[in-house]
Amino acid sequence: MEIILSQAANGVVLGVIYILISVGLSITFGMLGIINFAHGAFFALGAYFSYELASRFGWSAAIAAPLLAAAIGMLVEVVLIRRLYGKEPLLSLVVTFALALLIEAVIRSVWGTGGRPLSPPAIFNGIVEIGPILMTTYRFAVLVITVAVLLALWAFLALTPYGRVIRAGSRDPEMVDMLGINLPRVFTAVFGLGCGIAAIAGVLAGPLWTVSPSMAANAIMPAFVIVAIGGLGSFSGAVIAGLFVGITTALTVQFWPEASSAAMYVLMLLILLVRPRGLLGTQWERFE
Amino acid sequence: MVTKPKGALGAFALAMLCSAAFGADASAQDGPVRLGILTPKQGASASIGQSMARGAELAIELHGGKVLGRDIKTVWLDEASPQVAQQNMQKMADDYSVAGVVGGNSSSATLAMMPVAEREKIPFISAGSAASEVTGASCNRYTFRTQAPVPVQVSAVFDRLKDQKLYFMTPSYAFGQDVLRTARSMLDGVGASEAGNDEVPVNTADYSSYILKIRQASPDAVFGALVGLDLSNFLKQWRELGMQGEIPVYEVAVSDTDFWDIGPDASTGIHVKPWYYNDPANPDVEKKFVEAYEEEHGQPPSDKAWSGWFAMTAMLDSIEAAGSTDPKEVVKQIESWTYDAGEFPYYFRKWDHQLIRPSVIVQVKDEITDKWDYMNVIGTSTSGKEDTLKAFGTQEEIGCKMGEL
Repeated sequence: MEIILSQAANGVVLGVIYILISVGLSITFGMLGIINFAHGAFFALGAYFSYELASRFGWSAAIAAPLLAAAIGMLVEVVLIRRLYGKEPLLSLVVTFALALLIEAVIRSVWGTGGRPLSPPAIFNGIVEIGPILMTTYRFAVLVITVAVLLALWAFLALTPYGRVIRAGSRDPEMVDMLGINLPRVFTAVFGLGCGIAAIAGVLAGPLWTVSPSMAANAIMPAFVIVAIGGLGSFSGAVIAGLFVGITTALTVQFWPEASSAAMYVLMLLILLVRPRGLLGTQWERFE
Repeated sequence: MVTKPKGALGAFALAMLCSAAFGADASAQDGPVRLGILTPKQGASASIGQSMARGAELAIELHGGKVLGRDIKTVWLDEASPQVAQQNMQKMADDYSVAGVVGGNSSSATLAMMPVAEREKIPFISAGSAASEVTGASCNRYTFRTQAPVPVQVSAVFDRLKDQKLYFMTPSYAFGQDVLRTARSMLDGVGASEAGNDEVPVNTADYSSYILKIRQASPDAVFGALVGLDLSNFLKQWRELGMQGEIPVYEVAVSDTDFWDIGPDASTGIHVKPWYYNDPANPDVEKKFVEAYEEEHGQPPSDKAWSGWFAMTAMLDSIEAAGSTDPKEVVKQIESWTYDAGEFPYYFRKWDHQLIRPSVIVQVKDEITDKWDYMNVIGTSTSGKEDTLKAFGTQEEIGCKMGEL
């Protein structure tokens, strides 16, 4: 029983990293209707930027990594993504897939094919033991930071005027445009926000996983699974699904390790069979 | 409007085709010799693949860039998965007409490439695979292998695990299954027992759940065979969860890049690998290879770079000795090729095409002060020709039934 509790707690930490990766993807799809296959690449960029900043200027400089990734995301939106609005979803999938390959190639040419060593900040060394639950201080910090980021994001989208504009723009862009709001600028900011959140996940995951070009590919599939399970475009759905996937993966490692990487796909299959729109997916007129 | 007569057009097209066909034949005789490099370019073993390719390219440079007096042109394709590796092996034959292929890092990819090598008659030297089947039940006349097979590597460290309670961590594909099977069969011989085991899917990013299981099982040692980034991720999280120094880690078929990718802090353990760049026992020719590699890439070669260099050197020497790129002749020459710089002449055993050469046992240094030099060589799997040959097994034990050329 103790090990199951410990694994479940570990699964929660794994889950919150997945949530952070997938929530940006969910926002980009929900607000812009873009299936961003390059999302994992922005996750990797976050990790690489934090590696570069932390090794040059210390860990506190790594806070700029998500901002850099967000700025690149906004540039990509202006140059490329905005041409895809209102077009077939398949087109955005193909274009962003090419973008993912391009970013990965850039990462390989700048930082090389191999991994880069990145350790957690020294203040997070150590282990926290709460009853049967064992967790490293760094993982506990990841849990706290992720919850704080998600709460801030929810508050931004639900409670601020900017958040209302974004949500309204995602449902009825024409009406928002008629109200005199510069919608293209809003969309640029939303895409940058999604990329920035992916990069925060990259910054947090960098000291846990090996910082390597393939981390992009390792991140994108769980992110898509979580978005599908949670319901396309649903913020709270992504949160619940991320926790489900994290805990399911950790418990599968305990009982059937060979199947651990397939567990989340089986979970997705079962949930979509029962509820094809995902857990909290709603009917959106613009996607019908 | 001017139209050309159809008959004249047909004759012109036929003439062009004939000219192209004869031209191609002439260029096959006089043009560059194409050699294939097939290693991972992406995924968990991308670092290993790059090192192996660099080593193979350097072997060509050190050979003067020519073979049989003709320029060499290399074709580097990806070994992303067994399926991709097999398709790319076919491409090597169909699209590039290569005279030989060096590569095959993972056992599963190598096993997928081998039937193509045999069918298309391409001399193929696998520079990374270790599963027994490669030179055992699945062996064929066109495939050779440089890395020691699993039983040799496992037995190299097993006498250090006497009376220990072991936890096995192996990847869930051909190589890992071979390691698990072999290690279990050797437990009784050293009075060891099994505390638990996990067969881990390739490309696992988070090992924390596995490490919690190991912690609960309280083994005396972890014995594993994780490869590439999988090993890097495991060791990084092993340290993060406070296990480094608590339970020793033993691994077979590791590569230097697995450790360089995570830095000195997370590196730990006693491991088996084919070669180490800073081994005082390395012969002069390998020291020259290290110097050339450092000059070209600004860092020392990993063992996989050495494997690529070694395999390509054998290929080039054999093509020269054959006097042509005729695959049958090249295979015969690889079968009789020897590497005379080692402790004794190393060679590919004729009846299974396995390179007979000891592996090295390394231990990660307690204090790493150099950017690249993480290991001390603490021994070899065997010493001397007789012991080494014995360790690689008899024809009955290996079970290879070599086909005709």
